[in-house]
Amino acid sequence: MKRTLRTVIGVTMAGALAFSMAACGDDSTANGGDDGKQLTIGFVPGIASDPFFKAMQIGAEAKAKELGIKLLRQGAPGEYSPQSQIPFVDSMLTQRVDGLVLVPTDPDALQPSVTKAQSAKIPVVTVDTTVTDQSYLTSAITGDNVEGGRQAAKTLAEQIGKSGEVFLMSGSPTATTNQLREKGFTEELKNYPDITLVGKEYANSQPARATSAVNTILLKHPNLKGIFAVDGTSGTGTVAALRNAGKSGQVKLIGYDAYENQVADLKAGVFSALVAQKPGDQAALALQNLVDTIRNQNVDKIEKDVVMSNVVMSRDNLAETEQYQYPAK
Amino acid sequence: MTADTMQQDATETRGARLKAVLLRQDVILLGVLVVMVVFFTTMNPLFFTRFAFANILQDWAPVMLLAMGQTYVIITGGIDLSVGSTLGLSGVAAAMTMRSLNEGGTATGATIAVGVVVALATGLAVGLVNGLLITRAKLAPFIATLATMGAGAGLTLVLTGGVQIAGGPVEVIRLGNTQYLNLLTIPLIIVFAVLAVTWLVLSFTRFGRWTYAVGSNGFAARGAGIGVDRHLLKVYMLAGLMAGLAGLFVYFRLGSGSPTSGQGQELAAIAAAVIGGTSLVGGSGRMSGTVLGALITTAVLSGLILIGVAPNWQQVVIGLLIAVAVGVQQINVRTRKGAGRG
Repeated sequence: MKRTLRTVIGVTMAGALAFSMAACGDDSTANGGDDGKQLTIGFVPGIASDPFFKAMQIGAEAKAKELGIKLLRQGAPGEYSPQSQIPFVDSMLTQRVDGLVLVPTDPDALQPSVTKAQSAKIPVVTVDTTVTDQSYLTSAITGDNVEGGRQAAKTLAEQIGKSGEVFLMSGSPTATTNQLREKGFTEELKNYPDITLVGKEYANSQPARATSAVNTILLKHPNLKGIFAVDGTSGTGTVAALRNAGKSGQVKLIGYDAYENQVADLKAGVFSALVAQKPGDQAALALQNLVDTIRNQNVDKIEKDVVMSNVVMSRDNLAETEQYQYPAK
Repeated sequence: MTADTMQQDATETRGARLKAVLLRQDVILLGVLVVMVVFFTTMNPLFFTRFAFANILQDWAPVMLLAMGQTYVIITGGIDLSVGSTLGLSGVAAAMTMRSLNEGGTATGATIAVGVVVALATGLAVGLVNGLLITRAKLAPFIATLATMGAGAGLTLVLTGGVQIAGGPVEVIRLGNTQYLNLLTIPLIIVFAVLAVTWLVLSFTRFGRWTYAVGSNGFAARGAGIGVDRHLLKVYMLAGLMAGLAGLFVYFRLGSGSPTSGQGQELAAIAAAVIGGTSLVGGSGRMSGTVLGALITTAVLSGLILIGVAPNWQQVVIGLLIAVAVGVQQINVRTRKGAGRG
């Protein structure tokens, strides 16, 4: 979700950029000299304080600046729910933004908001998550968690020589993103008959819980070769467990996302790889598509369903992939 | 109250006295713990190893700190829902302080010392707010601490933006995880020391007696000249201080301040106290029971992983454990009342 959100922001930014450039080329009012003609794109994240959304926002802001459009961001500060999100969407529509980038907190509950935007002729791009009826949407841009799980399995398999015991440290049994990553991981592992998945535990928001679980698994399976930690919380706890057991590097650890602390642990050799999303790219694309639609240019090139791929960061490719680290606060 | 019970015991026959001891919640829990250890060890001998014990003790330490404060609070007839979010808040406050000092080139010793002070001060401050809301603004403890629980969790997100706070001195991790005798860490030794103090204070000092008195009958306590409001303020500050220490130690264990690390921990602490026989209506409870309650709920998690119980079933088992432990306690109370010892 966070990743998707970031994608949205990036897309939004990209769209904004395209618009400003187009504006430049088309007429002299471009680049914000004339406020009356500057495009305003609204951005409603799922939860304003979430670092995923923040990273997306940073990407969107950069793209908006590049495009010379105005980015209006409003969202609930602390709660990921349609009840708290809908008022912000309504407010955007009331303000008659020229386009809307939305991270729907619920596919059904946010559908009426998209319909409202349609009657107001405001184009909408959804990012990270989407709504039930996507017919009106300019684009629906999502991150690919199943593919991310597969990439984690492939990378781990390569790193442990395609045989041995591995463990799945998940974050929460109810988080959709976690479920999808687990699914991709376990499906892909079936292609490696010599790899055994010895178990799965949940951190339930508490990294110390992951530390304890991994300690216990290391006791139970002393020959453990690798671990996939599906989110930030489980990753932090697993890192602590491996470091304290003196097994950094010995047990291969694949993490998900690329926050500053995770990349630091990758450099230190505790994570052997990270599956990183590209929130900046996603947000840029969202803005680009919106601006193209509004300006009615390159419309045939706009992809309606975009699944953003992930990038696998390791110490070997860090020179090329470090740019995907999520921006620090 | 404990003294009264013992006096009564003395007048009874030896058999009745033995029965009373055997029916004590903490004695029952000790039995439960022994049965649990035997069961898990039979299922997987790895459970009975120093490594497993060391891991269980590290899990137990923060829960126990929260539960110590919670035991005092619940004995006064109150509840403190904020301790989990205070754990998270003080942990990230310490982590952020240590990170900026560390990046600023401050000496490691000074950095850690300041971080420790920040964590404890944060905990104390939340406790003070709780105490003032309850004694001055006259809010019910449930409401007052529900408010600070939400505010604390929100403040943690504002401070961190929801991300983990790494970048403190690496010595923190060594300090938090170096084991002596392959079992005890420095934080654990401190927890044992703090436990000894809070236990003795509750059982043998005026502060402890007042805690029971306030919870048994606040009106009578006031009449007897106890400064009830002042006492409550101190009890909530104690709970906050324990939460601050717990937040610090969780940070020491992980080497990273996590904004969500306290989530749900208030319930773990309340469960430990209640399983331990502390009554939610106030006036009764023992630290020994809380220690065992916290030990049982943390040991069961490691045990269930070792014997390979699916993670979602673990929560069901713990829920059942709480129901059974509290159920036994109720039967116990009724039996005693039946025997004319109400």
